[in-house]
Amino acid sequence: MNLAVDVAGLHLKNPLLAASGTFGYGVEYEGILDLNLLGGLVTKGLYLGPRDGCPTPRIAETPSGLLNAIGLQGVGVRAFVKDVLPRLAPYDTAVVVNVCGDTVEEYAEVARIVDDAPGVAAVEINISCPNVKVGGMAFGGDPEMTYAVVAAVRKATRLPVIPKLSPNVADISVFARAAEEAGADALSCINTLLGLAIDVEARRPRLAFGTGGLSGPAIRPIAVRMAWQAARAVRIPVIGVGGIGCAADALEFMLAGCRAVQVGTANFVDPGVYGRILSELADYLERHGLRDINGLVGALTFPHDPPPMGVRE
Amino acid sequence: MPANRDVPLLAREPLEGPYVLLTFRHAEVAASARAGQYVMIKAGTSPDLPLRRPFSVMTTDPREESFTLFLKTVGVGSRALAEMRVGDIAACLGPLGRPFTPPPDGSEALLVAGGYGIAPFVLFGDELRSVGRKARVFYGGRTAGDLQVRSAFAERGIPLIPATEDGSLGHHGRVTEPLEAYLDVGAASPTLYACGPDAMLHAVARLAARRRLDAQVSLDPWMGCGLGTCLGCVVPIQGPGEPRPRYRCACTEGPVFDAVTVVWAGEESSLARRRALEGAPA
Repeated sequence: MNLAVDVAGLHLKNPLLAASGTFGYGVEYEGILDLNLLGGLVTKGLYLGPRDGCPTPRIAETPSGLLNAIGLQGVGVRAFVKDVLPRLAPYDTAVVVNVCGDTVEEYAEVARIVDDAPGVAAVEINISCPNVKVGGMAFGGDPEMTYAVVAAVRKATRLPVIPKLSPNVADISVFARAAEEAGADALSCINTLLGLAIDVEARRPRLAFGTGGLSGPAIRPIAVRMAWQAARAVRIPVIGVGGIGCAADALEFMLAGCRAVQVGTANFVDPGVYGRILSELADYLERHGLRDINGLVGALTFPHDPPPMGVRE
Repeated sequence: MPANRDVPLLAREPLEGPYVLLTFRHAEVAASARAGQYVMIKAGTSPDLPLRRPFSVMTTDPREESFTLFLKTVGVGSRALAEMRVGDIAACLGPLGRPFTPPPDGSEALLVAGGYGIAPFVLFGDELRSVGRKARVFYGGRTAGDLQVRSAFAERGIPLIPATEDGSLGHHGRVTEPLEAYLDVGAASPTLYACGPDAMLHAVARLAARRRLDAQVSLDPWMGCGLGTCLGCVVPIQGPGEPRPRYRCACTEGPVFDAVTVVWAGEESSLARRRALEGAPA
């Protein structure tokens, strides 16, 4: 039975990656879970230097969702390369570094530093964080800026380049195409949805930053729809992310056309979630008489063709 | 080392009002949890939300490989736990976090609890006894019904001074008032330990700073993961010699912090920093 997938020139032993911002730098899970179980992990977003992030409170639970405004607190790419990356070397899992920037130049510089570091499999570009005042979603909400950032990172590294697209746009296929034209090797779809939760007693937002990014099962149907739209719009592979907690959730994305998936918020709820999903995936393949998970990619039978509702072909 | 386990509920003892004692089997927590450490736990094993909740370990029983939580039902996560039946499974990661550090020889430990903040002090009472330190509990709440598990301290021979805001039990007023009264007449150089609402922790921190006493506080911010990855539970901490506060994860670098290093809501620097500035020559 084969669970291995190839994405953007990466050979992953299985289609499960840990999503950026939900798995720290991976080393936090040493001793709690076997990192060798993962197809790959995507680091917390990294800028050139360390960042404090947003004031608190930073997280709020909503029905089936988690609203967060962390604001990309982190150690900076140099400290990551020096102190963290060597600790990931013993593990047989693909390390994908999520790069951030306040400017196009900063994205490229972070990617250049990552390119020189041993043990990095690919670069994911964060053009979709809703919780920073510059960069992030500001780049991912404009197709020309998306093109500019992806092209600059493309030039800065030989590693596979994977922009993570924002769902906070009217038509994700426009952004998927812009990223593909700029030289992306794959796409991660989607980041969190911009949300606002209000404490009615205090008449203030529940998060100190005000708005936040919504993740968790609440966003899964939206994420599946957008990943599906993106996958139809481009030739490069799409990695699905949004509310995955079990094999059935992961399979929704794969049937919709995703070559791999990322597990996000479920990491917080259950750090042992990977072992469970992998055994459920194997059960599914056996139950359906399949030998290779790749046979399920895009195997969705859609009730009508062409699809309705602004899905551009 | 913390371990992530699906654990059965072994015993459930409802107390007054929204309070309940829950005992789970978890070998690692039972064997190694120290006072002030906590578990991340939720009823059932679903990977869907809600998140696990952090609860201080109240007691451990290494022989039975079990530990007990003291729980107040306040929302969806605690309610699901409180409604578990014996034999039901919870998902539990622990023991986690930085525990309380016992006082130096000769220093009495004064344990200041507000409401369900009493939980870690039962285990701490055992630890203090095993290292031969004297302890005394100051236990505050809104009303008498909020001062549960008092008998645990009587059983351990630890004096307990209750305080209620409505005067229904013990001192009529805030828990810091009998604490101050005791400090005025009690032994020199006690060490303060506090667990409870932020306002109470802040009051204890100020009081300790004013009297030049060491104090450790257990903070209780919203926690998402318990492992330092969600970065939701950070608190501004300014250690001695640090030029400015830095956000630190309460889940991994706390929940117990030295009180003088905490930058409280509405403040810009820690008590230690302000104390140093006050003491500096003009």
